[in-house]
Amino acid sequence: MGSPRIIMKLIVAGVHVEPGDVRVIELKHHRRPLLPAFEPGSHVDVHLPIGKVRQYSLCGDPEDLSRYTIAVKRENGGRGGSAWIHDQLTPGAELPVTAPRNHFPLKESDGPVLLLAGGIGITPIFAMARALWRQGKPFELHYFARSRSLAPLLGALEKTISSENLRLHLDDQVETRQDLEELLSTRPSGAQLYYCGPPGFMAAVALASEDWPDGTVNFEAFQPLVQDDTPPEPFMIVLRNGAVVSVPADKSALSAIRAAGVLLMASCENGVCGTCECGYLEGQPIHRDAVLPSNARSHRFIPCVSRATGVLKLDL
Amino acid sequence: MTWQGTLLHVHIAPAASYEMEERAEAQLVAGRGIVGDRYYLGIGTYSPKPDVREITLIEVEVLEAIANGEPKIPGFKGLLKPEEHRRNLTTRGVPLNHLVGKRFQIGETVLRAARMNFPCKYIEELLGMPGLYEGLLNRSGLNCSIEVGGVIRPGDPILPMDE
Repeated sequence: MGSPRIIMKLIVAGVHVEPGDVRVIELKHHRRPLLPAFEPGSHVDVHLPIGKVRQYSLCGDPEDLSRYTIAVKRENGGRGGSAWIHDQLTPGAELPVTAPRNHFPLKESDGPVLLLAGGIGITPIFAMARALWRQGKPFELHYFARSRSLAPLLGALEKTISSENLRLHLDDQVETRQDLEELLSTRPSGAQLYYCGPPGFMAAVALASEDWPDGTVNFEAFQPLVQDDTPPEPFMIVLRNGAVVSVPADKSALSAIRAAGVLLMASCENGVCGTCECGYLEGQPIHRDAVLPSNARSHRFIPCVSRATGVLKLDL
Repeated sequence: MTWQGTLLHVHIAPAASYEMEERAEAQLVAGRGIVGDRYYLGIGTYSPKPDVREITLIEVEVLEAIANGEPKIPGFKGLLKPEEHRRNLTTRGVPLNHLVGKRFQIGETVLRAARMNFPCKYIEELLGMPGLYEGLLNRSGLNCSIEVGGVIRPGDPILPMDE
């Protein structure tokens, strides 16, 4: 099970508009001057009053703990969380937010770091770039966007890191375009790759970095990768106590397990936050999440989105 | 058993996993809990599991021992602040473990100690303090029911009954 975290009542201290239909929200604690520390790559869960919980990367400065900064792109056709933030959230509002958690940490290394961001995927990458810049580490940030006027946080980014570390790739400026296959075709010695962006970008970078060795490619997805668009099929779950739970094609494993009386916490229900993570003991899972590292897929399972063929024995 | 103690802090949490908030006074409701607390509202982590959880207490002496890493076995050392331990009341000078089954007064209210509190691994993850679970074993405080409600405030005397 993913670990619970303290939920804090934060107050919206500021809202400003960024290019690309993005709002930047600054949050302060309702009573304490300092918030819990965090590292670049961390995210928080924002509990919206409409009953939804959404994960947002912290893009602010970890050395300024007087506030957290998140950047939220309006996702038209999304599930309603970002629209609520854009339309309803105003300075002074109270917002319950968990303490930060990091699924996307910068690893200790002295080798070169390659950061790739697509659009709003700049949020965790910005925090990483700031940290690497301060530490004087070798890095290059490639920021892909449709145009300068649709690139969130670009102004702040240009004030924070040197232009020598920043490569802009804009669809509307042909000379700046960059082929991902070519960019990632050779891996500099000791290099680590970090990337974040929308699903198409994630799939393209995953493909282009296929030949990079295990442990050198790090990413965070906002939505699970759609690797498997076959229609879901029913399967069976066996619990540790021997109970058999059937999962119909139109229900998630999470809802079936809960209906069988197992208390399991969940948050995003979209395969990205890891809150409902559990172990599996036997069977053939079909992993559809975007949070488990590949070395956990042999024994861990994300029941809100993942499925199985036949019978899956869970460690629950 | 003769003793006299003091109420040091009153904390409530508005819902499961929310930060505890300190109160300068609190309203205890008999048979229910502290007004505004997650267990009064029936929305605490353990609310679905029937048990006595109207109000929980812990000794500041335990927090002081943990701060010093005592006892040496299991040797857990850490700063567990009154707003972090997730019990409602922090007391001084009250032998909580000895009160199971007995009634005692806090200010104008009367509590009955139902059972010793048992720590949960959950708090380690919530606070990011691995080892705290072992550090709290057998001294994790009391779960009580409220027999006579009323207002309590830090500084209120805590006195035995049923002597």
